[in-house]
Amino acid sequence: MKGIEEQIRATSSQLLATGDVQMVIGYGAGSDNTKTMPVFIKRAEDVGKLVFNPLCVSNLANYLLQWKNFEGKIAIVVKGCDSRSIIRLLQDKQIEREKIIVLGVSCPGQLKSGQAEAKIPADAVVSEAAVDNSGFKLQTSGGLITFSLDEGLLEKCRQCESSRPVISDHLFGEKGFEADKADLQFNDVAALEGAPLEEKSSYWDKYFERCLRCYACRNSCPACSCRECVFDMVEPDWVAKTVNLSDNSAFHLIRAFHVAGRCTDCGECERVCPADIPLRTLNRKIIKDIKELFGAPMPGSDLEALPALSFYAVNDPESQN
Amino acid sequence: MAVYKKISKDNLVQFLQELTKDRILIAPVREHDLVSFSPAADAGQVDFTFQNSFVPPKSWFFPQTEQIFSFRIENGKYELSEPSLPGGTVLFGVRPCDLKSILALDPVFDGKFDDNYYSDRRKNTIIIGLGCQSVGRGCFCFKVGGGPLESNGADIFLTPAGGDFLAEGVTDQGTDLINKQSRFFSDSSAEQVDKEKREGTDRLLKQPTGLKGDFNLPKLKAFLDANYEIPYWEELSYRCLGCGICTYLCPTCHCFDINDYARTGLEGERIRCWDSCQFKDFTLMAGGHNPRPSKKERVRNRFMHKFKYHEDRYSIFGCVGCGRCVQKCPVNIDPRKIILDLQEVAGNE
Repeated sequence: MKGIEEQIRATSSQLLATGDVQMVIGYGAGSDNTKTMPVFIKRAEDVGKLVFNPLCVSNLANYLLQWKNFEGKIAIVVKGCDSRSIIRLLQDKQIEREKIIVLGVSCPGQLKSGQAEAKIPADAVVSEAAVDNSGFKLQTSGGLITFSLDEGLLEKCRQCESSRPVISDHLFGEKGFEADKADLQFNDVAALEGAPLEEKSSYWDKYFERCLRCYACRNSCPACSCRECVFDMVEPDWVAKTVNLSDNSAFHLIRAFHVAGRCTDCGECERVCPADIPLRTLNRKIIKDIKELFGAPMPGSDLEALPALSFYAVNDPESQN
Repeated sequence: MAVYKKISKDNLVQFLQELTKDRILIAPVREHDLVSFSPAADAGQVDFTFQNSFVPPKSWFFPQTEQIFSFRIENGKYELSEPSLPGGTVLFGVRPCDLKSILALDPVFDGKFDDNYYSDRRKNTIIIGLGCQSVGRGCFCFKVGGGPLESNGADIFLTPAGGDFLAEGVTDQGTDLINKQSRFFSDSSAEQVDKEKREGTDRLLKQPTGLKGDFNLPKLKAFLDANYEIPYWEELSYRCLGCGICTYLCPTCHCFDINDYARTGLEGERIRCWDSCQFKDFTLMAGGHNPRPSKKERVRNRFMHKFKYHEDRYSIFGCVGCGRCVQKCPVNIDPRKIILDLQEVAGNE
């Protein structure tokens, strides 16, 4: 992935030097060799801080909301999955097309952080990473470390609809990960849908019970763009601050319905959750329903297609009677 | 009077089981892959393989959601009732970093102002500390004045030794308990415990760690004392999501909010819940003014609190190096890196 990294740096350097953008939002090396972190580069001489490797799991699109009133133009690094957020934000007019430059990466797949921590010693220096059909190969100061796709590939990557960004001004990487057709069928959601009611209820209860209400899922979510969030309101207190199964369930269900049609299954909520709540499953249930009920594509996959829950068709079958 | 003993793993489980006869046992229990301090009616449920718990043991003394009282209005009269606090408790399996965190919390809740919700639990709880068997990826207790086998803060401290444990009665209460239940223990000595701890610490600290560089906390504090406005905080805050993970998982963070909930108007409850200085409405005042209006001020506050304010007030640092925020921050805001960065900024001044 060194090639992608070099291209990101070179393009960023050029964009900053010519004044085409005033900031690049990308990935930088983290404090631990199994982590990366978002970086905000404002000077061409700092582009060396930008990296790209199989640990760039996070979706940076949420920062475009934070920098909404930034005076200049912003270039942002996105993978295929993240790029859907850009489209969705454009459709909602949360960001302006002419104020951003999309640095798209055809993503070869991302590594599970737990696996990375288990296998990469804390003091190893990772010099090169490659991903292909056989898995991940990391060249480190302590020797070659490999992960098969089965052990290392993130679930969201396995279910990736488009590893090639659906929107980009510059495209890096030749060939992204190609998911198995069978993995794109929402079989995981269907399996849970088919379970008896009590089983489904206890499945979610055990997870919602341990929610800390830290709001990391909400704060990292590019679909969460409200200026005032219902969960922060004290008067009226729509949802109490008490942390218990009832209020936690209310929080998660309200949030899932609120981002319905805007959630692009980028997986940030599940990635950031400190309690490992399988939030993607909840959101994917709604995405599956939208697909089935409205015949709509995955939100954010087509800039021209109006979002299923954001427009009204006069010839809607339900308006005919 | 200290006492030094040895106890096998099987006997330790039986000892804990014996304690459940007249006390609540709160211990690390693994549920769906997360280890939490939970009530364990059966000592067999206790997990011994954990690195550290998901939520720190502060949640026993200071639960995330706690009812202060409930109220009813009947015939125009108010009726208040207070919940009863738990009685005798054994809090088992507290790691050295978290033991130290309790010492940092005590002066907050049980110092100048007595918070009886905290202090009643604290007085009724015997703490059994458990030395570490490995150093986690984010661990840095040994860089902030602690160590993986430090017993400070425990009533009884257990040092893993082979498959067994060396037991110290650290406080009189701990010693009494060991003496009363002496049938579970065999003899050891101060020398043996000391030797095992020294050798164990050396062994543990040889484990590879990522970030290199020494901390100088007094020097760091002197820098923070003199420098409030530095560009560093703003740059750091760019990536902060403003979520509550670091504060909720921090063993010394202790902010709370009090709310009344009265759904019917005639009855309700007063609740206190954890709050986080990283939330934007944390310092929002009724008139609309917010003294910490942006993430810059909020991120700065958290680190100033750990490495300056807490020390100013209670002569103990507010960071014990447990590494929970290091591991769980979604955007890699790592206090170890911040300390090293600030030391560099200080060196350049």
